Formats: sequence, C-alpha cells, structure tokens
Amino acid sequence: MFSRRDLLKQGLLPVFAGSAVPSVFANGVAAAATDSPNATPSDRVLVLVQLAGGNDGLNTIIPFQDGAYHDARPTLRQDQGVLRLNAQLGLHPNLKGLKASWDAGQLAIVQGVGYPNPNLSHFASMSIWETASVQGGIGDGWLGRYLNYLDQVGENPNHALEGVSAGSLVPPELRSKTPVTALQSLRTFRLQPVNEHGTQVDVENPLMKFYSAFKGAGPAPFGALFDTTLQEALQASHALQATDASYQAKATYPAKSPIASSLKLVAETIVSGLGVRVAHVTLGGFDNHSREKPVHDKLLLDLDQALAAFMQDLQGHGVGDRVLMMTWSEFGRRVKENGSAGTDHGTAAPMFLLGAPVQGGLYGQQPSLTDLDNGNLKFGTDFRSVYASVLQGYLQAPASDLLGGNYEILPLLKA
Amino acid sequence: MDDAPVTTSLAPASRPIWQRPVSRRAVLATGATGAAAAALAVLWKGNDLSQILDQVRNLTHGYQGALTGERVRIAHLLRRAGFGATKNELDHYAALGQAAATDALLNYSKISNATLESQLPSIDLSGGTRPTAGAIQSWWLQRMAETTRPLEEKMTLFWHGLLTSGLDKAGPAQLFTQNQLYRSMALGNFNDLLKAVSKDPAMMVYLDTETNRKGKPNENYARELMELFTTGIGHYTEDDVRESARSFTGWTLQGGKQLRYAMASQFVPRFHDAGVKTFMGKTGTFTGDDIVEMLVPLRATAVRLSTRLFSFFAYPNPEPEIVNHLADTFQKAHYNVGAVLREIFTMDAFYSEKAYRALVKTPAELVVQTLKATGTNARGYTAAAVAMAPMGQVLFYPPNVAGWPGGTSWINSSTLLTRINFASALIQRSRDSLTSQSLAQLSDTLVDANLSPATRDGLQGFAAAQPDDQAGLLFMLLATPEFQLN
Repeated sequence: MFSRRDLLKQGLLPVFAGSAVPSVFANGVAAAATDSPNATPSDRVLVLVQLAGGNDGLNTIIPFQDGAYHDARPTLRQDQGVLRLNAQLGLHPNLKGLKASWDAGQLAIVQGVGYPNPNLSHFASMSIWETASVQGGIGDGWLGRYLNYLDQVGENPNHALEGVSAGSLVPPELRSKTPVTALQSLRTFRLQPVNEHGTQVDVENPLMKFYSAFKGAGPAPFGALFDTTLQEALQASHALQATDASYQAKATYPAKSPIASSLKLVAETIVSGLGVRVAHVTLGGFDNHSREKPVHDKLLLDLDQALAAFMQDLQGHGVGDRVLMMTWSEFGRRVKENGSAGTDHGTAAPMFLLGAPVQGGLYGQQPSLTDLDNGNLKFGTDFRSVYASVLQGYLQAPASDLLGGNYEILPLLKA
Repeated sequence: MDDAPVTTSLAPASRPIWQRPVSRRAVLATGATGAAAAALAVLWKGNDLSQILDQVRNLTHGYQGALTGERVRIAHLLRRAGFGATKNELDHYAALGQAAATDALLNYSKISNATLESQLPSIDLSGGTRPTAGAIQSWWLQRMAETTRPLEEKMTLFWHGLLTSGLDKAGPAQLFTQNQLYRSMALGNFNDLLKAVSKDPAMMVYLDTETNRKGKPNENYARELMELFTTGIGHYTEDDVRESARSFTGWTLQGGKQLRYAMASQFVPRFHDAGVKTFMGKTGTFTGDDIVEMLVPLRATAVRLSTRLFSFFAYPNPEPEIVNHLADTFQKAHYNVGAVLREIFTMDAFYSEKAYRALVKTPAELVVQTLKATGTNARGYTAAAVAMAPMGQVLFYPPNVAGWPGGTSWINSSTLLTRINFASALIQRSRDSLTSQSLAQLSDTLVDANLSPATRDGLQGFAAAQPDDQAGLLFMLLATPEFQLN
C-alpha cells in the first residue's frame, strides 16, 4: 500500500487532480468542526510574539516605587501614567490593552526571566532562546521539536500548516524536519498559472516532475530540500484555496502596523480551521541604544493595540479559549541608561503570557536594581521553566524530553 | 647531491587541499545506490518499466565533470563573481578564456562602465529633494544587471551584507553614500575600509556611534565591530567592548535636522574620551582608528573574513586548510581583500564538484539573472526591487545587524512559490519582446545545459509541442530547481 505522499513523490499521481481533497484540508475541517469552549489539547494554538532586538523590561514592567529605577533612568524613566499592577509595579502607560487583560485575569507576567551566564550578543542569545539550549547553535528549535513530536505521535504528520510564521522566513524556533509555512497572505500563497495565448495552463504537474527528478540528481542538501519544499508549498496552497474564504475580522486592527497585519493573518489562519498549532510573529526594533523613549513607546503601543485587536477578533470568532500568546525577547537592557538616552544590551526581562488559557498574575521575582552583575539584572526564572510550563501545562507535551532537562513547572495556565 | 627521483614531490598527497579538486563522486555513488535500490523496490511493485528507467537515469545523473568544460567554468565564475550572464556576456568572457576572464573580472577598474553610468537615473543628494528607498533600490538593481564590472557590484553586496546598515534607522541618502563607499573600496584594504565605515553616516546612525560621547559611551558599534565585522564572538571580553566604545567617542554627524538626513561626519575633540584605555591587554589613549588597527591584524579576523568570503563565493563550511591558506594570503597582502579574491577564483576548490551549484541563488542574484534573461526595461527594476521582499531580501533593509542569514534559509514553501511566480510575472510582461532562442541556447546560458534527464525530456517535449512559445519555454527553465541554485 502506497501512501498518497509516496505516490506523489514518484510522480505516479496527478497532483491534487479532480475532486480529491488534500488530507491537510480534511484535518482542517475536522479541527473547525470540533471547535468548542472545552478545547482538547489538539485544538490548542500557541502564538509566539518575538520582540526582536532586546526589549527594555524595566520600561515595560516598571518598578515605579524603586528609587534605584529613577536614579538609573534620569531621562528614560516613566513616571507619568504607569498602569499599576500593585504597589510597586506597573505596566508602561501604552499597554492599556494588556492592563485590561490583567484586570480580566488573562495576563500572566513572569518577572526576571533569563538564563545562567547571560550572553550579550543578540545572535548568540537569540539562538539560546530559540533552541532552548544555553549552547545555542543550529539545532532544531524548541517548537520545531514540539511539531516533530506531534508528527511522531501521529497528529497530522507533516501537515504543512501545523506551524506557520508571518513573514518571508521560517524562524529558527520552529526549525526541525517537520515543515513550517511562512505566510504573507492566504490568497497569494499559490503557484500562479501561466497564461498561454489566453488560456490558463497548469504548471504544477511539470514542475512536480522537474523537482522530483532533481531530488536524485541534485547536490545535498538541495535536491531533497527543493522537492520537499515544492510539495509542501502545493499542499499548503491547495489547503488554503479550498478554505472557505469567508473570514472577516471581528475587530479593527490598527492600520500601518506590521505586527497588527501579522496577527490578523494568524487570526485568519486559525479561524479558517487550517489546523495550525504554533504561529510565530515578530515585532522588531527594540535595540534602542539611543533616543529610546519615542521609539520604545511606539513599539509598545503597536504591540498592545495589535494584541488587543487579535484577542477581540479571536473571541468574536469563538476561538479565544484555545489560543495562548507568549512574548519573548533575546535579552533586556542595561539597568543604567547610557549617555545617548538609550540603553545597552542587558540580561533578565519579563515575559507576557496572554489569553483565556492563562492563570493571570505575577510570577517569579522582580530582580533587584542594586544587586547587579556588571550593571545587569540577575535572573530569577530560567526561560526554559516558562517553556516547560507551556509545553506541559498547555500543549500537554513531554516538556523534559523536548527541552532535554527538567525545569520547574509554573502554574501559569489554567488546568 | 640528492639523486632521489624528482617525481616524488608530485605525489598527490603533497598537494594542498585548495589545489585538489574535491570529488563528490564517491559520496554520490554511495547515496545514489541506496536511494536507487529503495526507489526501484517501490517501483517494481508498481510494475511500470518506463518509470523505472526514468528513475535510474535521474539517479545516475550527477555533477561528475560538470566543471570540466571551460564554458561552464566561466559561466560558474560569472554566477559567483557577478550575477550570471546573458548569452552575449558569456560568449564574450568565454572568448577570453578562463585566465583572462578572471583577470578582467578582478581588474575591473580598467573596464569602462560609462554606458551604465549614462543610463542610470540620477540620484540627487544636494538640495531639497532626497532619494526614496525605492529609487536607490532600483538604481542598485540596474547596476547589478547592466554593469560591465560584475565583481564590483558583487563585492558591494558582500560588504552590504557584512558591514550592515539599514533603512530602519538610516536614511536612503546615507545608505546610498555608504553603498558608494563599499563600491569604491570593494577590493581594497580592509583596514582602510573599516576606518571609513566607522565614520560613515549610515553606519554611525545604524549602530549609534553618533551618540557615543565622552563619559556617556554607547556600546553598540564597539560590540558589533568585534562580534560581526572582525574577530567574531569568543575573542573579546565585555571589558573590551566597554573600552572600545570609549575609544570611538568623538565622532558626530553634521548638517541635517534629523539624524537620518545628516550627511557629514566630523570629529569633535571635546566629545572624545582621551583618557587611558585597556583594550585586549594593551593600554593607551586609544582612538577608534587605533581599535581598528588592533583588530584587523588578529588571526581571528583573518580567519573570519576568509571564511565569509569563501562561503560567499565558493561553498559553505570551507575546510580549515582552505581558510588558513586564505587567512595567510590576507595577512601577507597587508589586509588587501582583492588578493584573497584572486586566490579564491584560482583555486581548484572553487571549480570542484563540491562548489558546483553549492549555493542557493540569493533573491538579488535570482532577480538580476531573471531580469537579464528576460531583457526587461528600466521600469522593471522598480517592480523587481519590490518583488524581492516576499523572497526575504530587501536591499538596504537587512533583517538585523548580522545581515541576511542566507544559505538554505532562502528556501521555504512561501519563498519558493514567490521565486517561481516572479519568473512567471516577468515573462508575462516581456512576452512580446523576447529574443527567439532555442532550448539548447537558453539552457546553455541559464543552466549550463546541465539538467536532470527527466527535466530535459520534459522541456524538449514542451518545445516540440509548442514551437512558437518562447515565453513558456523560458518560464519553464527559470522555474527549474537547477536555476534556483548558483
């Protein structure tokens, strides 16, 4: 018995000819049909929001009562309009949507997150977070390993839309041998038919043959890479085209906001029932070595408004109960601002977990602003402990296997 | 008197690795046998003899001897040292022969680029009008496609990817100026280049040296200068970062209400920290130039730059022997980059089977070679610059200070569809103006006439069935996996 995929690989089947429904789409329909408030683990979606460049944690969760904060930040301190979480800490004034989620018990804040021997290089530290290994490197990403685990336990094997990222590149944390789809638009994700003298000619079949033939001939690793990638692309594009394109946003996303566009695309993918399990979006621009305040204020405003619209949209479509958002950044910033009204690379910073599945509240310890390591905060919670809590408490996956170690499980999520 | 036979010195083992063709044959043979056996087992069950024969032909097709013919070697050289060739360009360099073609590519200052310069849109930096991002992007794409000095543009792209600055912080006029700096110093002295870059307005804005003042150091440039531009991580301490930042204080930007429009850098002594610094074990009242002069001679810098250059032009993860040889060359040549390039382009390793199609065409390479193949007009450059974004590369806008990650990261399901769709869109636009060429001619220019047998048969069948459809044939070739590689 051949699998459909084997037949496709051998070029023995016309690609998605006639009325054959791609298996991906069948899964998507099943997922949509079982949509209910009592989400089973297989419905659950994790949306990772990467704050690239190193987000200034101290100006995100603000220790407004701490004299050391005011001393360290003569020009950058936020002393107006901080949104109080308790007597010591408050959210940046532009995080009004997150404050509303906090009030509704849907925001968990893990303070002082980092790892031992912090690396102040963007790229080394990103790699550490992406692989969940303090060695970093080019291994599989921690969520790539999760997607691969889903394949191994037989959940939608090699489903090309299980992992999606908004943008043109697949982020390293989703990297593994399981395919992940970078999406820029659901509608344009297809091979454009070639117009031959007024008639549309299908080019999929010949290209499938060319790419399949090259698999045997081409140099490693490209032969297999190209062949597999084209198959994934066609599989995903057929699933997308077969989808009921009736999605209408049930929230107003901010205009001219790349992070809002990215999250809207993710919402469309989730709402359309395509079986997405992990989605990744990036908001860049946090490397604020100079004139930080206007830039950082705007970034947090964009983030907050985009997340608020995203949550409203998901709730409007009745899928809010099964979507968890989590932010991360490769490091925080130096406690003391530099002479350019900015901050240099730092270490520990807070993470947000947001959404209906969250057990709201503050977790971990706010790091001391006076007991420092070379001017930098000492971390209190290992980021892998947060990952483990999400993998085990939310995705119900074997956290210690996927992370290669045992980390404390924090009660960040509702049972 | 030594009367030992002189031939012993020519034993193969004594040849350094960079002068030995690196064979993929053994690897291929082993892999192909295993794969073929598995495929055959599946196919026998299907009992379809023609399928079996096709499969065997495809698996036995390889790159053995792909670079033995001089025309293919020159096409390979032009893909790597430039952006591929039109048929006329390939004919021209092939007529020179490999040695003279290599010389011509390297000694490009002797070749006039007047035709291109006269046809480029003017980028005006004076007065009130400022260039837009789109204007400088299409200007550069046109340079890449129409230059008579391909290596000059290719090295400019290399420096843009290594000594990165981007439109997210710097202005288009600043990046245009930086681009001209990279072009003018493309094959020059690395020491001089780094000193110039340290004072380049786009870089000063991008990595915040502009705000780095005495008593208020900003570490951004100091860190990336070591981590990304010279030694790489692991060769310096956090104290070195801090002391280096102090040394670079004093440079500021002039002329422009907003930083991104300031076009002139100048040294202001009162902003410079003239105090004693300790950097990498040395102590003195260092300036930024002093820091560059201490970093460039380090072996780690030579090794890192050599690795980057060889990986950019030949294949990734070069053997340590090759890297060491190139690093030696770099140091003996007093940090002259052109000397390293000459060494790379004359190595057997550069023409080895391991190097053949060992790189994915970057979006810039893919777009420019597609433009060359379709002969699009100037209006096409603006659209082409926009079309690069969904392929993952926007000129003058790298994702971060490390430049583009490159390699296999260019290829995912989204970018592959975009690459193929770009060829389709260009073909539609130029359908009526294409020069009539046979499959053999197109395949010679675009893919070294080296296609897997099934693809070749498919294209021959297409050409026979649709003899008048030049556009369809060209599209099919541009969409092949072979063309996606460089």
